[in-house]
Amino acid sequence: MATMRYREALNEALREEMQADESVFVMGEDIGVFQGAFKVTKGLLDEFGEKRVRDTPISENTIVGMGVGAAMAGLRPVVELMTVNFSLLAMDQIVNHAAAVRYMFGGQVSCPMVIRMPGGAGHQLGPTHSHSFEAWFLHVPGLLVAIPSTPADAKGLLKAAIQDDNPVVFIEHETLYGQKGEVPENGGAARFGEAAIRREGDDVTVVGISRMAITAQRAADVLASEHEIEAEVIDPRTLRPLDLDTIVESVKKTNRAVIVEEGWPHGGVGANLAALIQEQAFDWLDAPVMRVTGADVPMPYSKPLEQAAFPHEEHVVQAALSTFRNV
Amino acid sequence: MAEIVMPRLSDSMEEGTILKWLVTEGDEVKRGQPIAEIETDKANMTYESDTDGTVSELVAKEGDTLPVGDVIARIGDGDSRSSLAAGREQDEREEKDEEQDESEPEPDQRPAASGQQNGGERVKASPVARRMAGEMGVELARLEGSGPGGRIVKADVEAAAKDGGARPRERGPEAEPAAAPQRGEAGAKGEVEFHELTRLQQTVTRRMAESKATAPDFLLNAEVDMSAAVELRARLKEVADPAPSFNDMVVKAAAVALHEHPRVNAAYRDGRFELYSRVNVGIAVAGQDALVVATIFDADTKSLGQIARDARELIEKVREGRVTPPEVSGGTFTVSNLGMFGIDSFSAVINPPQAAILTVGALKKRAVPDERGRIVARDMLNLTLVCDHRILYGADGAQFLDRVRELLESPLSLAL
Repeated sequence: MATMRYREALNEALREEMQADESVFVMGEDIGVFQGAFKVTKGLLDEFGEKRVRDTPISENTIVGMGVGAAMAGLRPVVELMTVNFSLLAMDQIVNHAAAVRYMFGGQVSCPMVIRMPGGAGHQLGPTHSHSFEAWFLHVPGLLVAIPSTPADAKGLLKAAIQDDNPVVFIEHETLYGQKGEVPENGGAARFGEAAIRREGDDVTVVGISRMAITAQRAADVLASEHEIEAEVIDPRTLRPLDLDTIVESVKKTNRAVIVEEGWPHGGVGANLAALIQEQAFDWLDAPVMRVTGADVPMPYSKPLEQAAFPHEEHVVQAALSTFRNV
Repeated sequence: MAEIVMPRLSDSMEEGTILKWLVTEGDEVKRGQPIAEIETDKANMTYESDTDGTVSELVAKEGDTLPVGDVIARIGDGDSRSSLAAGREQDEREEKDEEQDESEPEPDQRPAASGQQNGGERVKASPVARRMAGEMGVELARLEGSGPGGRIVKADVEAAAKDGGARPRERGPEAEPAAAPQRGEAGAKGEVEFHELTRLQQTVTRRMAESKATAPDFLLNAEVDMSAAVELRARLKEVADPAPSFNDMVVKAAAVALHEHPRVNAAYRDGRFELYSRVNVGIAVAGQDALVVATIFDADTKSLGQIARDARELIEKVREGRVTPPEVSGGTFTVSNLGMFGIDSFSAVINPPQAAILTVGALKKRAVPDERGRIVARDMLNLTLVCDHRILYGADGAQFLDRVRELLESPLSLAL
């Protein structure tokens, strides 16, 4: 095991995959000379040269479109969009092309590309930089969606994403780049569709999306120490494919479910997951499936307001307690 | 998923009443296992499952009366047991945490999928509590919910099951009686013992009241000179074992007459007459602290000796409580005898929906005039025919009863 930061784990995954496969290249705004807005592509330009580490103009739809074309032609592009919010400029290429070309051409071409994008709140970057759009991409058939919350998963899932022949939307969390964690040395690709049980418990299942998997674990510690409730914390790691079996199995054990996400409540990841849980585990539920979500507002710039607009441990604790009693 | 329908348990059965379920939802049943007690038009009987599986739904409630062929229960493959076992290992910690804040009613009042009714008021229980209550036979309406807003949760059901709170579902009006009589004070009448009715007694109660309330009945009396019959019986005693009783002779005579008078071997039912091709004479037998009518099938074609053997066996079975439902169903006419208690003649309540019942008094020597007007002592027997005037009118009843007398007074034809 090596201890490294989330951004270093991503960097290592890119480097290893570029070393292993010449068809892998990276492309995006400020990723070469500037080494990326969050320094994920640090050192890659020096090691692999301008041909495989390409700085692009500010033109998201074009960047992704070039990636789609390159992927269809046989390369494995890893496209970086500076934030999730900017990905909306490229929705046509992501949804109408990347996700659909393999289907439209009956499997004659595929689109083995990765679209990396950091999202989430916490750095006071305001409503045009700080949102969580996992649900937007989860909505689209043909796209795989990864949401790593640890350095180990960041590395393992990015390697898996690059090796996969399907287009992958890879959502990193801005506040996690500096987080340290253990990463297996010479670790291979992780598996998509395999949830991680971060903490075992018998009383309530808490599913945390992206960074909220970490918030959920902190909440679980509070539930155990202050309320004698043992929460089982599940990090799905990928939303498509989703490891629903692990979640449903846990809910059948605990009879209670809380879903925590940073995104908006309506049409969110939690809304979808709550529907799946009640469809598959209705007769095992002791309480309504609870959701803890970001506030139903554009992300505020003001620090106190921004902090108030996404879930913290106490919100998760309250939601979990509400499945047991009035709180 | 197998559908269990109301079975036809007797040839005349058109509908049945679920007296008691012997299983609850979630129970595993084996083929041949008794699952319900069903009351037919003739008897109460235990109905056995004809399939293996898990009872997924008891469609009919106790006390429900359904036509033959209607679904009363559903039995599925039953794969939910393992999860139940896992659920039982639930951490008890939950209970401690589930304090209830009554000042803050839970806004969540959404109805769940399956309903448990308690006087029309919905019981608030979580889906898992509902499922487990069904499987464990816990009645949700009796539980206090410890969840938010008083919701009954899994821990409540488990606690109730542990405390022996598991019980069959809500009982119908024909529930199992309390074993011991209860006592109470009734003022001038002194201490009172209350006895709950057995199901058989409940059936008798209901059917007799129904008969009296619906059948416009009238009586026909006839005095029969049994001297020849007494003589015949004395001779039969030497050759037959068991020797036919006078009652057996009445049964045989009635059967022969019934064959000749179809309107007596019949019933008024649902606005029309039902005339039966078989003559099945029921004999009323006191037993099981109630009244049971055992059936001698095709009595018109059976020999007197056969009738005697059948009757002996049936009476024994009734007294020992071994009589089976087929043996107490299918009757088309009833004979009731209180002669052994010295009763001269009596009326009876028609066994519905039959057209008539024949009562038999005690055989006694009486002073009667003979053919030449001399007073002689003869062995006399009083017969009373109670008729349902909706189907059996005076003249028809009279002709039938006269024919019975004629047969008994010339009994050789009965011995054939």
